[in-house]
Amino acid sequence: MSDQQLKHKSHRREKRTGKVPSEASHGRSFSELSLIITFSSVSTASYMDDLGHHDDNARLVVTIDNTYQLGPYKCFPVPAVTDILKDVLTSYLQEEKYESEWSQKMTKTICEVIRARVKDLMIPRYKIVVLVHIGQLTGQSMQISSRCLWDASNDTFASYSFKNSYLFGVATVFAVYFE
Amino acid sequence: MDDYQTEEEESAFVVEEVSKIIKESVEATIGRNTYQHNRVNQWSTSVVEQCLGQLGKLGKPFKYIVNCIIMQKNGAGLQTASACFWDNSTDGSCAVRWENKSMYCIVNVFGLAI
Repeated sequence: MSDQQLKHKSHRREKRTGKVPSEASHGRSFSELSLIITFSSVSTASYMDDLGHHDDNARLVVTIDNTYQLGPYKCFPVPAVTDILKDVLTSYLQEEKYESEWSQKMTKTICEVIRARVKDLMIPRYKIVVLVHIGQLTGQSMQISSRCLWDASNDTFASYSFKNSYLFGVATVFAVYFE
Repeated sequence: MDDYQTEEEESAFVVEEVSKIIKESVEATIGRNTYQHNRVNQWSTSVVEQCLGQLGKLGKPFKYIVNCIIMQKNGAGLQTASACFWDNSTDGSCAVRWENKSMYCIVNVFGLAI
């Protein structure tokens, strides 16, 4: 994650400096440097050299090669995640009655469990948001709706709702591709 | 360096700003209305749409997820929780709980930096 983040930041800086070396002022020359290293880091010797010369900005040297990857190698597996949601909600809520304190803990627990299990799928470059609701059933009416501003070709969601005679549980996982 | 700081600020997820947007859109849509089953669909659509519209106008490099729950008040309990796997330094979330005499409205917004 931190590698990606670093790369992301250097990418942003690249945009700002506008890729024109002659225009780089003092403050911005660091990003220029990191870019040059990115491209020349194929040889290990020169990489080490850079490290020795620029001791004060050693952290900038931790750059990674360009991947030239434009999309996800592995799409987010919606059916697999829906199965996880179904499994977790059913196993945790099947035999339960609604109690507010229990439910407070349970929403958090279920969230953590789902997040951990989705993380275990090891899908690179995806950020995950898990949202869990547990409510009492007393004949009330309610509506849950969501809308997203994202790239519909890569970003997606999975949702599952569970109901027994005392309570309902709704879990939604949003997966957002992180470039 | 100052220039850099302000740019960071401009492209950050500011919770106060977002929560203001949410409150305004909920107030504008639901206000003092009492719960009417056949209008809830329209309300919730309008709340998320307005929120998303305003968030988009901020012009920040974020992808947004907006979730809205409207529930009739009759003594029933409701809990929501969220867990995220993201970059804590850039991404943020904001939740607003709003209620009037006849209903609860909970809006969750997540902003994920591009």
